[in-house]
Amino acid sequence: MRAPLSWLREYVTVDASTEELARRLSVSALEVDRIIDVGVADIDGNLDRFLVGRVLEVVPHPNADRLRVCQVDVGEGDARQIVCGAWNFDAGATVAVALPGALLPTLDVPLDERELRGRLSRGMILAEDEVGLGPDHAGIMLLPDTLEPGTPLVDVLPIREQVLDVTPTINRVDLLSMVGLAREVAALLDGELHPPEPEDPEVVDREPVEVVVEDPEGCPRYIGRVFRDVSVGPSPQWLRSRLHLAGMRSISNVVDVTNYVMLVYGSPLHAFDRSKLSGGRIVVRRARPGEALRTLDGVLRELDPRDLLITDGEQPVALAAIMGGEESEVGTETTEVLLEAANFEPLGILRSSERHALRTEGSNRWEKGVDPHLAEPAAVLASRLIVDLSGARLTGHVDVHSGLPERPVVRFRPTRASRLIGMEVAEAEQRALLTRFGFDVSPEWEVTVPTWRARDVTREVDVIEEVARAVLDRVPHTMPLRRHVRGRLTKEQRLRRVVEDVLVGAGLSEAYTWSLVASDPRPDAIRLPDPMSADQAVLRTTIVPGLVAAARTALDVGADAVRLFEIARVYLPSGERLPEERWRVAGVVRGGYATVKGVLETLYGALHLELRVERGEHPLLHPGKAAVTAAGWLGELHPTLLEGTWGAFELDLADLFAAVPERVVYEDVLTYPAVRQDIAVVVDEEVEVGALVDAAREAGGTLVREARVFDVYRGEQVGTGQKSVAIHLAFQSPERTLTDEEAAELRERIVAALAERFGARLRS
Amino acid sequence: MNPTELERRALSAVSAAATSDELERARVEYLGRKSELKLALRQVRDRETGMTLNALRERLERAIAEREAELERAELDRRLAEERVDVTMPGEPVPRGHLHLITQIRREVEDIFLGLGYTVVDGREVETTHYNFDALNFPPGHPSRSPLMTLFLDEETVLRTETSPSQIRTMEAQEPPVYMVSLGRVYRRDTPDATHTPIFHQVEGLAVDEGITLGDLLGTLDYLLKALFGEDRSTDFRIHHFPFTEPSVEAYVSCHLCDGSGCTVCRHSGWIEVGGSGMVDPNLFDVVGYDKERYTGFAFGWGLERIAVLRHGIPDLRELWRNDPRLLEQF
Ligand SMILES: [Zn+2]
Repeated sequence: MRAPLSWLREYVTVDASTEELARRLSVSALEVDRIIDVGVADIDGNLDRFLVGRVLEVVPHPNADRLRVCQVDVGEGDARQIVCGAWNFDAGATVAVALPGALLPTLDVPLDERELRGRLSRGMILAEDEVGLGPDHAGIMLLPDTLEPGTPLVDVLPIREQVLDVTPTINRVDLLSMVGLAREVAALLDGELHPPEPEDPEVVDREPVEVVVEDPEGCPRYIGRVFRDVSVGPSPQWLRSRLHLAGMRSISNVVDVTNYVMLVYGSPLHAFDRSKLSGGRIVVRRARPGEALRTLDGVLRELDPRDLLITDGEQPVALAAIMGGEESEVGTETTEVLLEAANFEPLGILRSSERHALRTEGSNRWEKGVDPHLAEPAAVLASRLIVDLSGARLTGHVDVHSGLPERPVVRFRPTRASRLIGMEVAEAEQRALLTRFGFDVSPEWEVTVPTWRARDVTREVDVIEEVARAVLDRVPHTMPLRRHVRGRLTKEQRLRRVVEDVLVGAGLSEAYTWSLVASDPRPDAIRLPDPMSADQAVLRTTIVPGLVAAARTALDVGADAVRLFEIARVYLPSGERLPEERWRVAGVVRGGYATVKGVLETLYGALHLELRVERGEHPLLHPGKAAVTAAGWLGELHPTLLEGTWGAFELDLADLFAAVPERVVYEDVLTYPAVRQDIAVVVDEEVEVGALVDAAREAGGTLVREARVFDVYRGEQVGTGQKSVAIHLAFQSPERTLTDEEAAELRERIVAALAERFGARLRS
Repeated sequence: MNPTELERRALSAVSAAATSDELERARVEYLGRKSELKLALRQVRDRETGMTLNALRERLERAIAEREAELERAELDRRLAEERVDVTMPGEPVPRGHLHLITQIRREVEDIFLGLGYTVVDGREVETTHYNFDALNFPPGHPSRSPLMTLFLDEETVLRTETSPSQIRTMEAQEPPVYMVSLGRVYRRDTPDATHTPIFHQVEGLAVDEGITLGDLLGTLDYLLKALFGEDRSTDFRIHHFPFTEPSVEAYVSCHLCDGSGCTVCRHSGWIEVGGSGMVDPNLFDVVGYDKERYTGFAFGWGLERIAVLRHGIPDLRELWRNDPRLLEQF
């Protein structure tokens, strides 16, 4: 909301600059997005060069068809000659004048005395756009004839203005109004509040106003007022200017009044052309199947049975609280007006507004819950202005409601407030603060909440907030005592960090990829019923595809040694309401099977685990170069996924960490030396070297300290379909030095086992 | 043979040797098998002469060894002097990976709170509307409950819109006191732009104990902000509104670019909004069965990407998800 300061200061007298005011509001009440400077500059007496003038004489310019030469009294004694291009006035008009030397926001240089087609012009008669008071440049501004020539224009119109651009939080709809803001300013800066106190016009030639509310829950209050002899026309300059500065467009006197009063009280109003209400009455009800309404924006809207409508007893005439109908719009022909000052239930309005994707100044307030008590002052001020500005007569009034809500009463303990805030706030200060915010506080601290806060403040803690926000600037910064804290990472969290660090140390960079993907290898992966885009429609069950895309990004920007990993959740369908969320680590590295296996051997080693793999398969992997482990899979990426040779892996972290030992227990490898022996055996090509090593360990028993393949040779010397596998063996006992005989025997046992299991021949 | 004369000549020859060859020649001449000294030693008949000549031989041997060491050292110095490299040449590359910036910030925040005695809790990402909204006191009609803002799996299941459900799950699982942070992914139906992505990370903090105050919240956040943005920053706290805290406070840190004087990053305010916080709404204590008279608490929930872009001056938050190595490797 935009709050012009001159308007705000009309309702509150406070000794504070705009900046102080904005600062105080932003700490204790609502967000102040910025302070906007509008209008003419207040420097070097510039404001003195803007005066009220009276046109004494107007004659056509002898040398120019479009111009006229005016004599204007600006209170100087002698009249000033001003050449003017506007035609919307005559002699006797009261106008706004800028004198030579004036700085206008629309001009780069000060205004000059100058000749226009041979006639001297000693000033300028102002249009509203020339001083930031409106968008109009069709004619000059016309001011009330009661003003004396020579009156400083700044006393009449906000030609020098600052506007607060504010955004209240959702619970403070009361601050979407000038009166609400003024009340807040008065409370926080110890100002004096004087809200408008309009005098209700008298009802003349009273006639009945028929209003039927069929849905009192949706519309707890409806004030209908009828005006006759309405003369619809442009609004006076002050009204046009205020609306403009508040960010609204001037339409006509009657419509402008409804918008203006909404800005004053925060309770939106609507004006119908009463002659267009064919049923002649107002019926508030839900829509019927098949009903439609063309709203003021020209859109024909199919109505939903949940939509609340204002009807004339026959036809819908407004989508309640959101937008009026085109048919019953107030226009220049209108002479009879039905003014609606009502109250609507927020949630239904919010839903309708969402359904029709239609948000208006009105719906924005109603959906937050407007105080039903405000309908009455809004109706009174609007009536006063309609009568004053359009020459209308108020001829009927009805107020339909079944009792207005009671003000909540809250038991409040000022000591509790001080304790929660963490600072002693004197009881007298608490009482004064609450009172200024509009709360009634009994001597026993029974706090009665003002009507405009009744939805938001219902509990003691809500009242404490009122005190806390007012003193927020003064609250001392402390730390909790923390007498019972035991902060440390869990085993899984610590190990996750180890995995991250080891992979980074192994040259992998961490990528972040989306958990929502276009598709997933698992057909039963969870699909969003209404995704934002087809690219983010499925909750992934595997991370590697995201890393493949990231690797492609890296290649596209020219990186070559691409090695990526990610630790993230996957979301596995569980058969329950919520999927099973598992932490995974995945990687994609340039290079083949051996590269990725090397990475995992390093990782497993760092976790004190042995990497054991078996041949396996996975849709993302090369079918001949795929392996599984107890915690996941690894292999060469299927060549259709990414050009070049790539390794990939994905491991479930809980499964991986389950085998990590709590602590590593010392093993004596120092006291007695190991006996090292290498053997080379020839086996069929199909025999996996892992099986050889396993068999060697099994045959050698606990004395085998190390059994590791260090070379595989194929060639003429071993024959086709065969390979020679060189295995490094180390035998060691923690209890004694092994003799050469013992070592030889172990070696023979191993060779024999390999021969028996795999037909292995020892190479000499 | 005159031993004194011999010694004088030999020492002079040794010290005159400028290369190892010359030194070797001197050694052969004075200590070789056919040297005067060796011949004389072979002919020694009396003990006294023997001792004199042996002592002389030892002195000569020592002198030669010393000279040899000198020459070797000189030779080494000469060789080293020739082995200069261009020290400005690049080193042999060692593959080095990088932790993602968000992970670095996640660890930083975790470590800050571990240091304060908090635990780290891993929340879940797919949540029921009960944990994501109802238990967190979101009123009916709150904008977040709308499918326009939240990604629903079905009417009662959502991708969590904030890390706050971890508050409820943590409190349900244990009795007070609670001091925890929870970091992870959250999801919103936000059209991607320079300051929004539909998936981002938050840190949730929760402290529930006897006597927790609003001042404790401000003190903790002041500590966190200065740890993240620098001890020389100022902090500011302003009232706000969230369903699950009452009162609610928005935290600001003075702009690091203009030092508070106003620039485009801080939209000329001198302050940068970091995130929301507040005192735990007693309705949450009712949900989890805590005694709301006895316990009070504070909570906060901030975006990690926001901290990253603010602190490191990254102009577009989406870049953190694009995995361009040129960006990842800067951090
Ligand atoms: Zn700045």
